[in-house]
Amino acid sequence: MSKFKKDSSRAMPGVNTSSLPDIVFMLLFFFMVATTSKEVDPTVNVDSPEGSRATDLTPYKQRSEVDFLYLGKPRNPARAAEFKMGFALSLDNVVQPTADGLYNTNAVGQWKKDKFDQKPARMTAPLESVITCVKADKSAPSGLIFDIRKELQEINALTIAYAVRDNGLI
Amino acid sequence: MAKRELQEINAGSMADIAFLLLIFFLVTTTMDKDTAFIRSIPKKVIVKDPVPVEERNILSIKANNQNQLMVRGEIFSDPNKISEFILKFYRTNERDNDPSNNFPMYSTATMSMIDAQLNKFDQQIEDAEKIGASKEMIEFFESSLKEWEKKKASLKLLGGGELREINGQAHVRIEVQQATEYSIFAKIQTEAEEALYELRNDRSMQLWGIPYSVLKRKVAQEKDKAMDEKAKLDLLEILYPTKIVEVTPKK
Repeated sequence: MSKFKKDSSRAMPGVNTSSLPDIVFMLLFFFMVATTSKEVDPTVNVDSPEGSRATDLTPYKQRSEVDFLYLGKPRNPARAAEFKMGFALSLDNVVQPTADGLYNTNAVGQWKKDKFDQKPARMTAPLESVITCVKADKSAPSGLIFDIRKELQEINALTIAYAVRDNGLI
Repeated sequence: MAKRELQEINAGSMADIAFLLLIFFLVTTTMDKDTAFIRSIPKKVIVKDPVPVEERNILSIKANNQNQLMVRGEIFSDPNKISEFILKFYRTNERDNDPSNNFPMYSTATMSMIDAQLNKFDQQIEDAEKIGASKEMIEFFESSLKEWEKKKASLKLLGGGELREINGQAHVRIEVQQATEYSIFAKIQTEAEEALYELRNDRSMQLWGIPYSVLKRKVAQEKDKAMDEKAKLDLLEILYPTKIVEVTPKK
């Protein structure tokens, strides 16, 4: 009856996958170019507030002229109880211990100096102009930020940056 | 010798390798950029008797522990309106000084005045070196000299004539309390940045037809190579300086 009789005896030809690597490589290169590497995975939760007209730190990151410190609620809930204000400062993934149950910013100065000494030789900016970027949680108290600022002032690291999430409104 | 055909390498697993790399990059990178407000911290100095600042030169923005805002003594319910107020602060006396209002005055500098200042500081540095003045003193004179040199370059870029400058003391003062939320602090910073952007962008468009953000990006990326853009940015920053004072909250 039917003119197009199914020829069940013939096997399905395999799809040619020789160009699959090319496609995947293209995707790979796209992601390599379009993204920047993550800074350390912080041990504290930081939900930055929104802001606009903020400066993009990418060029500074490329020149390693910026150090990040995080201020937020500790990820580990057991740890959180140790901090009465509920906020902890994380320097390179180390939550700063605290004696009085409040918070501790005393380590900031030493941390910044160590960071500065470890910079690659191509970085020529003086300590004064190397940015210290504070990534603080929305609800973090401003008093803590000013404590960090004071520590930086003590060691003459005079450039600070307050991180915000750019909402891109123009 | 018999000719043997070259065997092709099996490239079947190439895709697997590429996928592996792809997934690695997907996991270790982020799409969003890090953005922040860059501010400089004043050097630590001990001042015995601070110079009084005229009230008209201060634009104080306060936020208390309950995250309520106050601008120049008046309660502000809409934080989005702060930038408008800052614009008013800068623009009220920009063309003509009117001493009756409570906004900062502008001064006018001409080329000959700037040259006179440059000579004065040159002389002062010489004198200071002769009598062996302290290092801080000489540093202070040198930084003043540099400032005036910048002004000279800026006026040249403007094509001579006059340089209208806001009073050197005029500043935006951010006063927060210990428990003010960071988001409020960031909001005030955003508003200040917004206002400065508008001032500089308007002037940049008027003078050269280039948006301010374009100039800024170029200088950030190429640093010392973009000399023209750098000079233009310097001019805009002299006309509308970022003077934000962050007052440390009391314990």
